Amino acid sequence: MNRKKGVGILAAAALFALAACGGGGGSNKEEGSGGFTEDARQGVDKDPTAQGPAPEVEGAKSGGEINVLAPDPDAGPNDLDPASQWSVTGNAIVQSLLFRSLTQFRQDPDTGDFVLVPDLATDLGTPNDDFTEWKFTIKDGIKWENGDPVTAEDVAYGMKRSFDSENFPTGPGSAYSNPYFKGGAKYKGPYSSGENFPAITVDGSTLTLKMSTPFPEMDYYGTFPAMGPVPVKGDTAPPDYGLHPLATGPYKVDKYVPNKSLTLVKNDQWDPATDPARHQYVDQYNFTFDADPSVSDKTVLSTAGEGDTTIVTSMLAQSYTKAQQDGLSDHTLVGPQPCTGLSYPVYDKIKELEVRQALAFAYPYEDAWSAAGELAGVTLANGVTDPSLGFGVLPPGMAGRQVFNPTIEGQTIHYDPETAKKLLAKAGYEPGEYEVSWAYDASTPEGKAAAEQTKLAYEKAGFKATAYPYTGGSLYDIWTDPDNPIHKKINIMGVAWCQDWPSAATFLPVMFGKGSPYNTGGFDEPSVDKRMDEIKTLPLDEQADAWGDLEQEIMTKYYPVINRGYYQTIFGFGSKIGGFDNDTTVGGAPTYRTLFVK
Amino acid sequence: MTLPVVEVLSSDGSPPPESDEPTKRSIAGRSPLRIAFDRLKRDPVAVTCFVIVLLFVLIAIFAGPLCALFGVSPEPVLASTRIDLVTGLPKIGPPNHGFDPNHPFGVAPATGVDNLAVWIYGARTSLYLATVATLLSTIIGVGLGLLAGFLGGKVDTVISFVTDLFLTFPFILGALAVAPILADRFGTNIELWQQLTFYSLIAILVFFGWMGMARLIRGEVLSLREREFVKAARVMGVPTHRILLREILPNLVAPIVVSISLGLPAFVAAEAGLSYLGIGVVGRESWGQTIDAATKYWETYPLYLWQPVIGITVLVVALNLLGDAIRDALDPKTRR
Repeated sequence: MNRKKGVGILAAAALFALAACGGGGGSNKEEGSGGFTEDARQGVDKDPTAQGPAPEVEGAKSGGEINVLAPDPDAGPNDLDPASQWSVTGNAIVQSLLFRSLTQFRQDPDTGDFVLVPDLATDLGTPNDDFTEWKFTIKDGIKWENGDPVTAEDVAYGMKRSFDSENFPTGPGSAYSNPYFKGGAKYKGPYSSGENFPAITVDGSTLTLKMSTPFPEMDYYGTFPAMGPVPVKGDTAPPDYGLHPLATGPYKVDKYVPNKSLTLVKNDQWDPATDPARHQYVDQYNFTFDADPSVSDKTVLSTAGEGDTTIVTSMLAQSYTKAQQDGLSDHTLVGPQPCTGLSYPVYDKIKELEVRQALAFAYPYEDAWSAAGELAGVTLANGVTDPSLGFGVLPPGMAGRQVFNPTIEGQTIHYDPETAKKLLAKAGYEPGEYEVSWAYDASTPEGKAAAEQTKLAYEKAGFKATAYPYTGGSLYDIWTDPDNPIHKKINIMGVAWCQDWPSAATFLPVMFGKGSPYNTGGFDEPSVDKRMDEIKTLPLDEQADAWGDLEQEIMTKYYPVINRGYYQTIFGFGSKIGGFDNDTTVGGAPTYRTLFVK
Repeated sequence: MTLPVVEVLSSDGSPPPESDEPTKRSIAGRSPLRIAFDRLKRDPVAVTCFVIVLLFVLIAIFAGPLCALFGVSPEPVLASTRIDLVTGLPKIGPPNHGFDPNHPFGVAPATGVDNLAVWIYGARTSLYLATVATLLSTIIGVGLGLLAGFLGGKVDTVISFVTDLFLTFPFILGALAVAPILADRFGTNIELWQQLTFYSLIAILVFFGWMGMARLIRGEVLSLREREFVKAARVMGVPTHRILLREILPNLVAPIVVSISLGLPAFVAAEAGLSYLGIGVVGRESWGQTIDAATKYWETYPLYLWQPVIGITVLVVALNLLGDAIRDALDPKTRR
């Protein structure tokens, strides 16, 4: 999932984190406390027997309109084609309100945990022994918004479209459809390769999916809109369908201006009896993308007028502080995002383990966060603010996660120039001898300020530090492009990654696998690659712990990345909004499925 | 307004008979510029504005010693030493604590950099940039205006066409286009890039700032070149460059001075505007950048925004009023 769409440029600039992916899945509900906690295995729960209608939300009422403001730089989805949805904002809206897919998440009203439940499929799918074949049966009685029945062929057709990375470059297909499905590497979707694709076959209402490598997490991937239906009959060319998609969920598109606004109204063809998670309390949703951040915050925090029924998906830290001062903290919710910001020393340029560890002691965690406009422990946190969070790669809430909080040279990790110098000396470097360089986003004052803090801290810790300003756009332009002139000069890259579902399989291979585009530091250890391939073939119940062990091993033995904090987003919502919570399954967005107007 | 004493005397028409000769002498001995200067000296608005501008100039020139005097520095410090990390607001000074003598203007939220030091160095950036840009655009504008007006014919046609052409370029678009090109080309050499952004900003301001002056001068020259003293010089065979510099240019001092004094504040404001848009100077303190950073803190820390805004407002208003006063003083038709 594209992190840019979920989180402000402030955070991005701070953590070298602009775009990147992460997706649906995971869960972690800490209402009120707003803290990060280590409740492992939340969202790992599955309930294949869940039936519609969804359990009533306490105190819910029908009617009313809800306005949702996604502040700049969140420009919302570029189109509404199910195959191209892979961003926090886009997925949250279309998965919860517009499109149905094979599976979905439901929030348990008592515990707040997110549970994987069936959606279009009658259950969570039936895999064979080695997870190379999956069978899903599509429910009867599901209708398009125009009243036509949704058939298994429609679902198969929608899934085949996800293989088309040319028409849907922002979609998740290239990460999951193409590599896992049998023959997926060559199949380019129905528009260029035709509809005949033996890995997805339909028999009556049953879909059979064949994989090239074991894919035990197909049921999680089924939550993506790309794993849902598109009408075979009358499907128009991709750019067109993305502007006028047919809805299957409780709402349909009334008016859509890409990157600007979206109006959703009730879809009377949606049958609650077939849907175990969604509701249709609200009459109408009005989304505004790329809204002015401070105006949005003011609207929500004002008690008069429309502010009562308005939600802002990402609040400025300054507005949050102001809301706390004014006693409006019940209008805000700090929601964890299953995302980690990492600083990634280039593996073949910074070769010594001690130097990489020294970098962990040289990074001014809280100072850089503050300069970047983040609030330590609120919008960003890790072992520095709460030792129980640690400094690992996997964000809190993921299956198999173990806290990684090592003691190096007698110290736990925090900004400590002396320990950094000691480690540098151990590697054989005098203070001021070892040169580190990185790129920062110079287009915002926050980006510049954070880079100044980092430079200062690195220099105090005995490094010679150079920060390269970049104003040309996303820092991923530099990190992922080996031909970029700045890429060649710097020896610390970065990446911010969100889970796609609460399994380390969506995280560790992307971060540490050889050749992965988001392995920006070029980490390359054959033993790790081998172990990752092995884990995918282990029995399902052993995988989570195996991934957790592998993470500990990588971090202890190689220390390839430095944790720059786990993300949290600040929501703001009016006093008449009910059923509001943080939907971690899509990376931190409002729980649209359960919203109502009080 | 107070009336000039000399004029009171002469307009009264009743001077003491003994002072007849000295009065005549003093009037006869003064050049138009001298008269204008005397008028300015007696204009309280002009004097006040001049003092304010002078103060800013001194601040800009002595930025280093001034910061040392206050014991402040624009260098970054580790944020946690001065910032409350939970709110992002300073632990010392405004807005939540009393006056801190170590930081008379307080410190910036989020970063903890001293506001006074940044403000002082911001004044230097603004004034230096505006002065250089004004000088360069004046030289270009005057030069081209002189040539076009005096030579006429094809030269005039070409120069006037180029002037009109430049007037059609949107200034902001030009600046927006140049900044990323420079960053892309020189982004790997930080020192050079920082210098380049500064001088490219001057270049852009000059590039789009000389046309008004050129047109003004051309118009003045068109009327001057038909005057007897110019014609006489031509008849006598004085070379063109000598006519331009010795005969015509001295007669243009008034419009040039007026144009400069009104151009300076425009450049100060333009620099702040461009820095606010993120395409201004890099690696130097600037009021525009502070405003950009401070707008988000308007609710929680208004003083942070007031400082650069007041700085720009006072400087620009003072420069503008001074420019107006100079124009009034130089205009022989103004009678007060």
